[in-house]
Amino acid sequence: MKRVAAIARKELVHIVRDRRSLAVAILMPLAMVLIYGSVIDMELRDLQVGVLDLDRSDASRELVREMTASGFIVEAARLASRAEVEAGFRRGRFRAVLVVPAGYAAGDRTGIQILVDAADAATAATVDNYLQAVVLRAARERLPAAGAPPPPFTARTRIWFNPELASAHFVVPGLVALVMMMICALLTSIAITREKEVGTLEQILTTPVAPAQVILGKALPYVGLGALDAALILAVGRLAFKVPMNGSWLALAAYTLLFIVIALAVGLLISARSSSLRVAMMAAIIVTMLPTMVLSGFVFPIASMPRALQAVCQLMPATHFLVVVRGILLKGQNWYPLQTAILAAMAIVILTLAARSFRLRLE
Amino acid sequence: MGPLASLMRKEFLQLRRDHAMLRLVLVLPIVQLLVLSYALDNDLRNVRVSVLDEDRTPLSRGIADALWESDVFVPGPPLASGDDLARSLKVGRCDLAVRIPAGLARDVAGNRSAAIGVHVDGTNSSTGGRAAGYAEAAIARAATGRDGRVGAVRFFYNPELESRLYMVPGIIVMIATIVSAMLTGMAIVREKELGTLEQVLVTPLGSLQYVAGKSAPYALIALVDLALATGFAAVWFHVPLAGSPLVLLAGVLAYLAVTLSLGLIASVVSDTQQQAMFTVWFFLVFAIMLSGFFFPIENMPPWARVLTWLDPMRFFLAIVRGVLLRGAGFGDLARDLLVLAGMGAASFTGAVLAFRRATS
Repeated sequence: MKRVAAIARKELVHIVRDRRSLAVAILMPLAMVLIYGSVIDMELRDLQVGVLDLDRSDASRELVREMTASGFIVEAARLASRAEVEAGFRRGRFRAVLVVPAGYAAGDRTGIQILVDAADAATAATVDNYLQAVVLRAARERLPAAGAPPPPFTARTRIWFNPELASAHFVVPGLVALVMMMICALLTSIAITREKEVGTLEQILTTPVAPAQVILGKALPYVGLGALDAALILAVGRLAFKVPMNGSWLALAAYTLLFIVIALAVGLLISARSSSLRVAMMAAIIVTMLPTMVLSGFVFPIASMPRALQAVCQLMPATHFLVVVRGILLKGQNWYPLQTAILAAMAIVILTLAARSFRLRLE
Repeated sequence: MGPLASLMRKEFLQLRRDHAMLRLVLVLPIVQLLVLSYALDNDLRNVRVSVLDEDRTPLSRGIADALWESDVFVPGPPLASGDDLARSLKVGRCDLAVRIPAGLARDVAGNRSAAIGVHVDGTNSSTGGRAAGYAEAAIARAATGRDGRVGAVRFFYNPELESRLYMVPGIIVMIATIVSAMLTGMAIVREKELGTLEQVLVTPLGSLQYVAGKSAPYALIALVDLALATGFAAVWFHVPLAGSPLVLLAGVLAYLAVTLSLGLIASVVSDTQQQAMFTVWFFLVFAIMLSGFFFPIENMPPWARVLTWLDPMRFFLAIVRGVLLRGAGFGDLARDLLVLAGMGAASFTGAVLAFRRATS
């Protein structure tokens, strides 16, 4: 244990001396929480809309006023003809155009047109919904008697676990997984590969410290750093974005530990298989960062992917860890038999693979 | 031009010998494009909807069928009770649950207003809200037989609203950025680490020539990658090239001047490859987030919107999407092209100055 501590202390000195890397390791997760938490927001604000008013009546002006009164929509331009629509789209002056037909004041409601720049498909549908709602409301208010009879039944929606649909509540748990992979897998693999490249690993191995102790000692500081980052993310998420903690801290700590073991094993495997630092870094980014961001349900829903890619997602430890973290934090569900089994199996398999290839390389 | 040409030849020779690296930068972008284009898909599909039908009348069954008709929803496991509904949402057996209350058909026949419960798992803030919207729309359609829309809607440039058409140009931009900034980021620092930088410095090469010669091969790699990715996107994903390739090329050159210079600056100020990679990476994370790639700039809070003006990727993305999807020309993109060219000139000067300072 003393030997492990000695190696760990040596590694800690390395970490603390490289001020810039340390700053990045601590500041990047924080900055990511702040930016991701406030930037990922599907609520549209200040939607730029052009108006092509062919009616030029009090009624049509009233409609446009209603539209901008909602606060979400800004009248970006007043068009004189249809020819200006596409030019405005191409120049990015507005995202949609509301066309008020010439007979609007006389009661023409069906002639209203909404033209949407759908090059951005994701927002196009939302833009359409916003404008539909505004126009519908304005039209109904003006002609209450002409409105259709009330529908026989309506939907009453209840949103569970995240009633305000706050994106930070969704993203912060994902960031925990991302940063764990980044710190534990990436940094550990770099640390070990560098000693290999510089040739100091052999020197350490000639000391009475056993190889397993070396690895453990080298990994420990990064476990600490990863845990620190995770705590920081959760704290900022809680203070700045009111991300709730509905489950048990014990369960969260236990699953996080299991995930750290997997991340370390992945880092170990990469460093055992890599010949140079450059290869290790590239491999670490490709194997850990990208899949954790993209193939784990961090932002993009797995259910929308093609079947083959869904299967790949299931092979990513982060996929299962994310289900657990989100469940504990948001839903207060503390026990996941399926995910526990999968994560434990992954830990054992990757650790075995890493241990085996490490022994081979050192002989 | 003598020393510059020799430096470039040396760089190209070195690059050609590094087979592992070459394979990585030529094959990886295609793999990334393929995987990311399918993965970064924000369209809603396969949302599991469970129904708790407490009414059990033809009307209630009709409502359930109306939900499943939508290509967004797939049937989830059936629900037996309200407790079952809560538990299913909690353990994630379904994403959305619809509760049709007992007596619905009776209330409708008696002209009393009735409500159908839509319960959605809001854990995923983006898909949760949209799934609820789809369910509400399906129920409103079932109630009135109309879809409650006014007027006509026309979607320009992407009538099917495929998010892939929008994402693929973004992925191309991201790949070009990673390749150009990362590789140059490691370039000079590697020479520093290996100690060959001193040897280069005793030659008659000027700072400007050194910086230009060092970045030339990576510019070429990035150009090849961009061409490969754009061609692949057109053939595989049917992303149109609506505008002129010349406009695109102008944007690409201005943008590469920025990313290559930033990579070189990171390289100059770093002592190890790890530091250089971290520095570039730090830049990348913010550049991607603020570029409007995943998240529309209009949705950002005002302070973040101001920050996007510093992000070269924002302008390049606008150019790539504008040219590929909307067929925008020089006139339409004048602002973005000018800003990008200005950024390119500024960051190239910055790289030369940083190099001069670091070596003197």
